[in-house]
Amino acid sequence: MPNAPSQSPDAAPTAAPHRTVHLTVNGIAHEIEVETRRTLLDALRADLHLTGAKPGCGMGDCGACTVLIEGEAVYSCLTLAVACEGRAITTIEGLSSSDGELDPVQSAFIAHDALQCGFCTPGQVLAMKALLARNPHPSDDEIARAMSGNLCRCGAYPKILAAGRALAGHPS
Amino acid sequence: MQPFDHVSATSAAAAVELLQQGGPSGARVIAGGTDLISLMRDRIQSPRLLVNILPAAAALRYLRFEADGALRVGALATLADIERDPHIAARLPILTQAVRDAATPQLRAMATAAGNLMQRPRCWYYRGEFPCWLKGGDECFARDGENKYHAIFGASPCVAVHPSDLAPVLVALDAELTIAGPGGSARTLPVERFFAPPTDDERIEYRLQPGEVVSEIRVPAQPAGARGAYVKVMDRQAWAFALVSVAAQLSERDGVVERARLALGGVANVPWRVAAVEDLLTGQRLTPALAAQAAERALENAHPLTHNGYKVPMARAAIRRALLAAAGQEE
Amino acid sequence: MPVRIITTHLEFEGRVSEQRVVMEGDEPPVWGEDAELRIVGKPTPRVDGRERVTGGATYTYDIQLPGQLTAAALRSPHAHARVTRVDASRAEAMPGVRAVLHRFNAGDLIDPNRDRSVFAEELPYAGAIVALVLADTREQAADACAAVMVEYETLPFVVDPEAALQPEAPRVLSDRPHNKLNDEYPQTYQRGDVDAGIREAEVTVEARFETPAAMHNSMETHGATAQWDGRTLTIYSSTQDIFGVRRAVAKALGLHQNQVRAIKQYMGGGFGSKFGPHESGLLAAYAAHRLGRPVQYMLSREDENVAAGHRSATIQHFRLGAQRDGTLTAIEQRTVGNLGALAGWFPATAMATKELYQCANVRTIDEGARTNLGPFAAFRAPGVVEGIAAMETAVDQLAAALGMDPLELRLKNYAERHQDMQRPYARKLLREAYEIGAERIGWATRDAEARRYPKGRDGTLRRGVGMASQLWGGDGGPPAQAQAKLLPDGTAVIITGTQDIGTGTRTVLAQIAAEELGLPLEAVRVELGDTEFGLYSPPSGGSMTLASMGPAVRMAAAEARKDALEIVGHLVEAPADALDIRDGGIVNRETGREMGTLGSYLEQLDGHEVTAKGMRGPNAENVTVRTFGAQFAEVEVDLGTGQVRVRRIVAVHDCGRIVNPLTFSSQIEGGIIQGLGFALMEQRVVDQRFGTVMNANLEQFHIPTIRDVPEIDIVLLDRPNTYANTLGALGAGEPPIIPTPGAIANAVAHAIGRPVSGLPLTPDRILDLLK
Repeated sequence: MPNAPSQSPDAAPTAAPHRTVHLTVNGIAHEIEVETRRTLLDALRADLHLTGAKPGCGMGDCGACTVLIEGEAVYSCLTLAVACEGRAITTIEGLSSSDGELDPVQSAFIAHDALQCGFCTPGQVLAMKALLARNPHPSDDEIARAMSGNLCRCGAYPKILAAGRALAGHPS
Repeated sequence: MQPFDHVSATSAAAAVELLQQGGPSGARVIAGGTDLISLMRDRIQSPRLLVNILPAAAALRYLRFEADGALRVGALATLADIERDPHIAARLPILTQAVRDAATPQLRAMATAAGNLMQRPRCWYYRGEFPCWLKGGDECFARDGENKYHAIFGASPCVAVHPSDLAPVLVALDAELTIAGPGGSARTLPVERFFAPPTDDERIEYRLQPGEVVSEIRVPAQPAGARGAYVKVMDRQAWAFALVSVAAQLSERDGVVERARLALGGVANVPWRVAAVEDLLTGQRLTPALAAQAAERALENAHPLTHNGYKVPMARAAIRRALLAAAGQEE
Repeated sequence: MPVRIITTHLEFEGRVSEQRVVMEGDEPPVWGEDAELRIVGKPTPRVDGRERVTGGATYTYDIQLPGQLTAAALRSPHAHARVTRVDASRAEAMPGVRAVLHRFNAGDLIDPNRDRSVFAEELPYAGAIVALVLADTREQAADACAAVMVEYETLPFVVDPEAALQPEAPRVLSDRPHNKLNDEYPQTYQRGDVDAGIREAEVTVEARFETPAAMHNSMETHGATAQWDGRTLTIYSSTQDIFGVRRAVAKALGLHQNQVRAIKQYMGGGFGSKFGPHESGLLAAYAAHRLGRPVQYMLSREDENVAAGHRSATIQHFRLGAQRDGTLTAIEQRTVGNLGALAGWFPATAMATKELYQCANVRTIDEGARTNLGPFAAFRAPGVVEGIAAMETAVDQLAAALGMDPLELRLKNYAERHQDMQRPYARKLLREAYEIGAERIGWATRDAEARRYPKGRDGTLRRGVGMASQLWGGDGGPPAQAQAKLLPDGTAVIITGTQDIGTGTRTVLAQIAAEELGLPLEAVRVELGDTEFGLYSPPSGGSMTLASMGPAVRMAAAEARKDALEIVGHLVEAPADALDIRDGGIVNRETGREMGTLGSYLEQLDGHEVTAKGMRGPNAENVTVRTFGAQFAEVEVDLGTGQVRVRRIVAVHDCGRIVNPLTFSSQIEGGIIQGLGFALMEQRVVDQRFGTVMNANLEQFHIPTIRDVPEIDIVLLDRPNTYANTLGALGAGEPPIIPTPGAIANAVAHAIGRPVSGLPLTPDRILDLLK
């Protein structure tokens, strides 16, 4: 590489700014102290030990980190934790009920084998959840469009579509 | 990502105020953050202060048609808001088309309309560790390098292309921006003029003065019978920036084009309006032959680089289709 | 049980090796066509589905141990350089930073798989590791990385494989005399006389075909979490091969293998790139051992794409000769493989060339070129995907030159026997696959259908149909061990050391065990992914997991069942062979009388667990076991924009008995979709001036999205291959990706009426072809 930039002309100052942030995650209120630059993904995983949202790319290209904020599917790797002050967040851990009963989306994913390695699955499930909350009977095209922000390298896509179709009430 | 301070603004005016406190170059407004966070992660930008403008949503997140037919889009309306709005789908479907294939559902739910216009190029030299001209260096590495995704128009030292789907459509719709500035000032500016190719002095694709904040996008009422189409060519079926995109907006009377707007994406640093074609079309009946002639004319001054010659025939095809679709002549 | 040692042969990704296997006891007889099975063969949702959909599955990335440090790497920006100085003093003083490892303080860490220091002085590609920062948080590690000062001496480099093989090319590794893979290259395989075959041919075709470097992009990157407790080094690794991890980590750290415990419960994909610990695993283990704290090192996506492997790029030249009637007289393939700097082998690009078509005169020449790029790694049928794509497009060109139907040409040259090894195939259903596929895709009317187009707004949409053949091994082999335990409550635990890399291994092993034990599926738990069990299992790769592990599990279950019936027989004073276990209950075989649950007997034994061992027996000799198949693709090509849309794939594969049709079809679909990505969009881009990979991310390296998926029509040829193993089942991991790119390329050629020059078939390539 030409004139590779000399390492860090302006290294970080010794004390990075912190904030106290209040998040409601899966219905439980949390108060955490984080650096302002901490992403929601890192806050969930490192501070709250909720590892269901996965780091896949770190720049909003893969969807493995998808969580719901106020019901809307977003990428937690591109979201600052401080920007979520007071917001309600749902992660995959919050989808099944406390007595262990699965959400219909989760059950459909299992029944249709809509997963292989499963690393992208929490994000896929939440993206599907957000779609159905907005549109309980999506068409095939609407399902595919809604799921197009979640990459699956194993290629579980046909089965994800099948799960979506079943959830939308289409005959299989 | 370098450390930064983080403050919240509950209005555009408050954001302007906070930006000024942050100093001339050290402060940035953040909304959806979909582009800024990755630029900061890669240390391409390292603002010392982020002014979070999302708390101003109550004032700045809206979509409203005025009585005269103009559409007002609050700066914080998300792409998903536009995509889901039934009135826009009915009255300005070209806008729905533009956001529908932009990015991904998650990114559309996060990204704001104003932020979309201010996203920076996806050029891999700019995004990578190269000390490229756009980042203040001496050389555009794409010009003689890997430039398959780069510009075929323009005279800037930088050959990156503008990545927005919304921008060419707003240009074709003659949209204007309202920009809030220091001391409660506000100015309006056509979207087309908001964009300018980067220069030695201003190595950025849009022009905003220090301390300014975009507060609204206004799409004026389109003439009766006006129709538009947005055609985006991608190298996969979803989640790709445009190789080439075309926004065409036509008003016809008695089968004759009264006014035409044509703006291309993915071909230049900025949305590329093709005035010569607009003139060619005006006063004529839009036939497949005329569309083909327009497409030829639009690409006359293209000067492709080593690896992007394909964009010329691709843009021709996309222009033909966009014009015919805008004229309601789709198959 | 008498122990015997048997010598057998094992084929792994085209390479045959001799293997000594220890057998104790005998395998049960094979499940033939007429076997009546209750659970095997039924569509069965994954037994660990719940964990995978709830976030309860703990991946390597999710391991969080008390006091765990996180790691980030500083990598060379230069295509070729020497590191002359590392100044980490400023980084080491930053908050939360616990150590910075590099050549000058950790040069003693040797990668045993490469026989080279992990922190080498010579950095032969952009992305080679220079330093590893260990810090409390991810942000701190990134800050410190940026504060490490490195001085480099840059060296000349070469990234183009053909240029690299020129005598005057810069040396990719300065201690080697040339850039060839090794002194044995180029390697030539020959039978008959190709030049004579070309001379006697009435029609010849020459074709050049390029295939790109494609990055695996497993959703979970490479990496590991390691902990040293003073006695045992425990490593949680995102790996397809825990025993390989154990072996390499022990060697690197100077420990005995039994001092290393490798664990992999869940992993986010591997596709061949995750054999062994990778340098990331070695680094995590080394740092944990040295610092005495748990360490996690997971690669960033960008590091993954430059330093953790990819499918190597090829440039292939084919020469085919045939008589007027289509009889092949010569096949020649010359392949230049771009192997990167640190390659150790050459992918099997010539496997199908030697074997797929009946031909007396065949020559393949493999030229392995080292270049100043990151290392390649096995990627789902490495070499065979590329080789088949090139050969099958050349065969279609030959058909066009002959004026013959491409399928007819293939049938004309159908090989009934393995031509290289001169022996029969255990079974070859390729002809049937051709016939079924042709019927389903509408092969007979493909030209007429193509003429019914053009369609589209401006009449530029064309349709095409093409096909390609598939051949692969997949019969697995020993050694593979399993243990079955019947617990006092009458449920079972199956213990193995294999890995479920997402294919559903855990589920099919549970099905096999439940079938053999006579238990309901829910009564069987499968343990895997931990070397602590001591039950050796092969790497999960080469489509060999089911065919290796399944028989071992079946034998263990059969032995446990036998023992349990002995015990029950003793308790009820009946001969064991008069009894059976059905759905967890004891039944008298003759009278059909139900005699209570198995658990009701076992619980009388004061906690005794019935334990039995099973192992995979030797492979069949003097016969070649293969999976064969074919895929047919229907595409639309937009001549205006150059966009290709795959509309439909028909896939017909013979993988023997299908244990779980549900997960089997998932494997087929996944392979096809990866093959579609390779055909249409995946391509590493390298700036030749600097040797830099430009698209080492998931934004600019495109893989298929859900919207790219065509209609996939899978035809199950569900018939046991009784030569393969006691299940009659073969692997299905690799077969489905093998023919997809070739089928799509041939369909595109059919649509545009001219041959294609290589992959991927991106719009720019199509528009160039149409110029």
